[in-house]
Amino acid sequence: MSEDREWFPRLVEALREPVRIDPALDRRIMRRVAGEAVPRLRWHEAVRDWLTRGRPVRLTPLGGMALAAAALSGVVAGRFWISPPAERPAVLAMPASVSGAPAAVQFVAVAPGATSVTLVGDFNDWNVAATPMHAASEDGIWSVSLPLPPGRYRYAFLVDGTRWMADPAAPAAADSDFGSTNSVVTVGEP
Amino acid sequence: MTIARTTRLTALLAAALGAAAPLHAQEPRLEGRLPETARVQVDSVVTVARQAGLPTEPLVDRALEGASKGATGARIVTAVERLAQELRTARDALGTHSTDEEIVAGASALRAGATPADLARLRRARTGRTLTVASAVLADLVSVGVPVDTAVAAVIALAGGAADADYVAFRRNVEQDVALGASPVAALGVRLDAAADRGELGQSAGPASKPPRKP
Repeated sequence: MSEDREWFPRLVEALREPVRIDPALDRRIMRRVAGEAVPRLRWHEAVRDWLTRGRPVRLTPLGGMALAAAALSGVVAGRFWISPPAERPAVLAMPASVSGAPAAVQFVAVAPGATSVTLVGDFNDWNVAATPMHAASEDGIWSVSLPLPPGRYRYAFLVDGTRWMADPAAPAAADSDFGSTNSVVTVGEP
Repeated sequence: MTIARTTRLTALLAAALGAAAPLHAQEPRLEGRLPETARVQVDSVVTVARQAGLPTEPLVDRALEGASKGATGARIVTAVERLAQELRTARDALGTHSTDEEIVAGASALRAGATPADLARLRRARTGRTLTVASAVLADLVSVGVPVDTAVAAVIALAGGAADADYVAFRRNVEQDVALGASPVAALGVRLDAAADRGELGQSAGPASKPPRKP
């Protein structure tokens, strides 16, 4: 136990001593490196080497933010150019039109398992065949877009030619005189 | 018979035919869609409404709706007659210079429970601006569960400062709040406060524009 107490401080003392390196070490190493023959690369190997060699990149915070903004704007621009507005799914909305001009209104019905869905209302003389809706997905989402001038229109969906269904995303019409509930869409002036 | 007398007789005959023609005008959209008896009766209601200066499109639409839904002729005629009366009442309440769209929306508000006096108040509160969307929003608010009196007060409160788009956004927001579980009256009160903060409540509508109290 007493021996432990004696050698431990000596060990610590030795470890605290700075490491002494031969001053001629650098010169000897560099002389050896210079003597090594450097293999010459062909031009395409040099290009590949230049392209694939990793390099540290230094960037200021401001430069980083500028780079991120440029990347984000590129993504947004690409989103619009690749998918023109006319092809993007519109949201169910109640748009205001300009001075009597028709506004496109998209109608969406959810009818899983249906084989056909038609949009029927004041705008098509309640003709059950005039405005078929298109299956927007295999989950039973059906949609169609109609240009409507300003006004208030009552409508309903007809599923498989037999079942009347109100639009759950639109107000219900108070004046449903024939049993099934209708929905209402109002297209306003600006 | 002189030429002058022949001319006068021809003119009288033409005038008589011209006056009688509207009485026998048939609505082409009804052809083949209704039982003949019902078609004649609906045609008669439409003709009278046209002569009274009322919009007739909604009457024909209502008959066509009944036909598409397989209603009986008698039921279709009853529905059309009822709507014609509502259009007449709405026009009387809103004034003879009202547009067809305003009258139709006003009739919807009446069906939702508003009174002719409510429509007249709305007309006074929204002078010089169309009432189509305001009346329609009134009916829509009632359809999501807002009591009629409260809906009327809200629509009139907005009448002085809100554009049509504001009315539409207001109605949509209330509907969303209700769909998320808020009570219709509470949702309406909150949205009305927000509209007041945005300055959409008019300054000139007077006591009628006072927002309804929240519960």
